[in-house]
Amino acid sequence: MKNILIKFLTLFVLFTSASLFANEHVVTVEHKVSTHKEETYQTKPFMQMIDGFLESTGIVALIHPDPNELNAKGEKMSDFHKGIGRVIMVLVTFLLFWLAIAKGFEPLLLLPIAFGGFLANIPVAGIAGENGFLGVIYQMGLSNELFPIIIFMGVGAMTDFGPLLSNPKTALLGGAAQFGIFGTLVGAVALSQAGFVDFTLQQASAISIIGGADGPTSIFIATKLAPELLGAIAVASYSYMAMVPIIQPPIMKLLTTDAERRIKMSTLRHVSRLEKLVFPILVLSLAILVLPESTPLIGAFMFGNFLKESGVVERLNDTLQNALINITTIFLGLGVGSKLAADQFLVPDTMFIMILGIIAFSVGTATGVLMAKLMNMFPGHKINPLIGSAGVSAVPMAARVSNKVGMEYDRTNMLLMHAMGPNVAGVIGSAVAAGVLISIFK
Amino acid sequence: METNLILEGFKFMGLGMTTVFVFLLIMILCMNVMSYVIHRFFPEPQVNEDPKLKTQQNNKKIVAAISAAISYHRQG
Repeated sequence: MKNILIKFLTLFVLFTSASLFANEHVVTVEHKVSTHKEETYQTKPFMQMIDGFLESTGIVALIHPDPNELNAKGEKMSDFHKGIGRVIMVLVTFLLFWLAIAKGFEPLLLLPIAFGGFLANIPVAGIAGENGFLGVIYQMGLSNELFPIIIFMGVGAMTDFGPLLSNPKTALLGGAAQFGIFGTLVGAVALSQAGFVDFTLQQASAISIIGGADGPTSIFIATKLAPELLGAIAVASYSYMAMVPIIQPPIMKLLTTDAERRIKMSTLRHVSRLEKLVFPILVLSLAILVLPESTPLIGAFMFGNFLKESGVVERLNDTLQNALINITTIFLGLGVGSKLAADQFLVPDTMFIMILGIIAFSVGTATGVLMAKLMNMFPGHKINPLIGSAGVSAVPMAARVSNKVGMEYDRTNMLLMHAMGPNVAGVIGSAVAAGVLISIFK
Repeated sequence: METNLILEGFKFMGLGMTTVFVFLLIMILCMNVMSYVIHRFFPEPQVNEDPKLKTQQNNKKIVAAISAAISYHRQG
């Protein structure tokens, strides 16, 4: 007992003396710094200080913008984008807040994006600039396309390919819905040919991928092909994905007859664990052979899925599905938000991107439904065309919409699991389409 | 020059949609082959009802033995 007490006392004495030394050290450093400051700091009359401070307020910066202020890319901005444009953008982000909170539109991504946009439009502080923290986040994971890839891993870990494996031919519906991408590409090119806007082929491709209805893929392609349009593309992509329950049902009802909407599909067969385990490797191998350009997306997706289906790395699977995807979502949202700066968002292009985006979604929905009707002309098990609309990715929202519309006509008709097949095939389909676009511009 | 741009768009569409469909068709084919092979050669072990029943009976026996022991102990 005595021994321990002595040891403790010695330790205590040592510790206090060490911290005393440390303190002395800090004091000397501080002293040096303060003398250094005194050398450069020039005393000013108090009135001049107040004047200088008032000059630096946000109000002055908005009304009389600094003519030398540069945007995030180091270019000059117009007075409109520095003043009233920023106020408008702040109001736009408030609208996004409202959509996310009151209307429940993809709040997980829209809130970080909108708040990032809010921060990016602050004058003087330059948060979205190269050295601001939004700029740093953007450099860290968006300009090198890292964040969308990590999100894809998490999505892979959340995906169950069971419904697709038990009814493989529904994958074709996921392919047909990608028509929305390429249809919109032609539309975007036609618009610029008609002289409304000036989209290059790269920009048109980046916009059209909105039709893939897959947020990470859109962001991946946009940063690769047209980073200047990233903000508008991401906002269009996520807000339309949230509006899937509004956009899709009228199109689905328009293209189907009452009898078709009541088609009951045979129950899904049981899928063995081995099938689910082999599937990610199978698809990745195909992607390697057919289209290596698509393997960053498909590879990350299948990595997540493989970890999940292996069943032996529950901890990693859990991290991918929760912690990792959540952290990345925060950074991805803020990074995309940095592109909502007035000088990049308040341009005529944005309006056209919004219009083209909704066309892309509608065309994808329509072609998915039409493909199902086409497949019904062949012998075999009939497909309810309502699940065709789930071929646009938007997992799992689009599948839920199919289920809901089906239930409107027949309370006992459960289409959810049937619709999950084309739904996850749509993710693969849009990753392939993205790979094609990348390979064209390589 | 300008008409070329739309033509380019249609070329992209042709190439893109063909690739997507070819990819998915090969994928469907492979999936069917895979599930055939797996069901043919690596079927999931059939879940037998017997062992479950046996363990249930065993459990009953054990419960009976324990309760008998307890009642014996209390009496003693």
